[in-house]
Amino acid sequence: MHVDLVGLGAVVLLAGLVARAGRRVGLPSIPCYMVVGILFGPGTPGPVLVEHPEDLAVLAALGLVLLLFHLGVEFPAEQVLGSGRRLFIAAGFYIGLNVSAGFLLGLALGWGTAEAMVIAGALGISSSAIATKLLIELHRLTNAETPVILGIIVIEDLFLAFYLALLAPVLSDSESPLELVRDIAISFGFLLALFAIARYGARAVGTLLGTREDELLAVLVVGLVALVAGLSEQVGVSDAIGALLIGLVVSRTSLQERVERLVLPLRDVFAAVFFVVFGLSIDVGELGGVAVPAIIAAAVTLVVNLTAGLVTARLFGFNQRGAVNVGLTILGRGEFSLILATLAIAAGLDPRIGPFVALYVLILAIVSPLLASQSQVLARRVPDWLLRRGWHYVREQTISTSCTHLDQIRITETDIDVCSDCVELGDSWVELRLCTSCGAVGCCDDSPNKHASAHARSTAHPIIEALVPGDRWRYCYLDETLVRAPMRRAQSAG
Amino acid sequence: MGKGVHVQELPGIGKRYDIDLGTPDQRISVVVRSGGIRDLYVFASNSADPTAVIELTEEQARKVGAVLAQTFFES
Repeated sequence: MHVDLVGLGAVVLLAGLVARAGRRVGLPSIPCYMVVGILFGPGTPGPVLVEHPEDLAVLAALGLVLLLFHLGVEFPAEQVLGSGRRLFIAAGFYIGLNVSAGFLLGLALGWGTAEAMVIAGALGISSSAIATKLLIELHRLTNAETPVILGIIVIEDLFLAFYLALLAPVLSDSESPLELVRDIAISFGFLLALFAIARYGARAVGTLLGTREDELLAVLVVGLVALVAGLSEQVGVSDAIGALLIGLVVSRTSLQERVERLVLPLRDVFAAVFFVVFGLSIDVGELGGVAVPAIIAAAVTLVVNLTAGLVTARLFGFNQRGAVNVGLTILGRGEFSLILATLAIAAGLDPRIGPFVALYVLILAIVSPLLASQSQVLARRVPDWLLRRGWHYVREQTISTSCTHLDQIRITETDIDVCSDCVELGDSWVELRLCTSCGAVGCCDDSPNKHASAHARSTAHPIIEALVPGDRWRYCYLDETLVRAPMRRAQSAG
Repeated sequence: MGKGVHVQELPGIGKRYDIDLGTPDQRISVVVRSGGIRDLYVFASNSADPTAVIELTEEQARKVGAVLAQTFFES
């Protein structure tokens, strides 16, 4: 057996160094790993560190499998399923728009239908790693749109599972439509079986893996993951989906937190090898031929993302900055695009998919952090009517200034400390609201009679102020928006 | 969680705690990442952009926490 440790070591070390240098200028690590693979691979003139990339195939496969396994392990199922309909609609829009745009572009390239389906996924599913890092580095964790962005990413991960199941039979070389239907059935049957294990068999899996020693747990987990991934490959479902689903199974056991912690460094190392090996397989000469489609694809993704950002902002009531932040943060493409490209190449589809996806990921990896950090510039250029009539976006401002009736505030102080309508009725109230147009005081919407809202309806006076000591927030009835947020909600968009 | 502290789940990152300080222009948010790192967001103006963001390791966070809670007596 020939083992080229020098080549492997040199190329992985270089990948790490380049990624570290890239981090200083705000570049994500995935494209850095890939570029090192491209530069020092056999397909590029100059020094060649790894002569035979196929020697590293097992390590790269392990990287792919661990990437998806970890995704499954850390999948926050309860949080996502309990997060409400609006998030699913927003995510549905995002995924639907991106995947269909990718599919149409794939068809337009004319490489074939199976190729178009792979391209649809590669263009449609964004990189969780890149988006999460961006949010942390740009200091946006307290923004109003951030939980929505993270929610969309998680639902994308879930979508990936179904997409892989759908794709597996298309990638297999089935001859007749009947075989194709059979393969799809097997694929989804396998999916269902694993889902059933996740639902009912988590305890058995927990017993199989359970040990107090971290060393043994890591060994058992890696063995199980590789085995399940390999078996899925053999029944005609991809290894990727097997790994993702066994991750979901483990996430339902009591071992979840430990496995997540133990597998993380393994995943990082082998995923880096996977990205490097992907780069090694790229012939730099082929990049020129796919440059135009890759640039068009990146431009299409940008436009579609901004559209999805606007839709999300309308659903959640974000302002321009929130809309642009959503669109630009989820712009990065990375691990999933490369995984889909790898599956396509392994299935013997058009080899141009490799360089095409590589270049596309590279363009977006550079463009996405740049654009996301400058989102306020773009936000100023988004016309108000796109989000909501009557709202006016003021630069650098939060949602509070989207009210257009600030000029009607005349009264901000009052001595009245009762709701006179309630006193007449002999009722009680919870909190008091002051009409800033005429000074009338009424009870809030948590009170039984809701006199403040009734007053606003009958007089069309727009803005009320809460008569709460220390927290005098305001609300505009006409614009249906907070003018000055109550403190517990004060973390609006930015 | 106690009154005046709002908890927000950040899937894939961790949990965010928004601490209401009772004044409209001062706010503190703490993000506890699942890896243990804490991001301390300090807002000292009405702007939605934080005045300062400090990344603390678990150890550093314990130190700051001990001083804030006055359980740290070394003079």
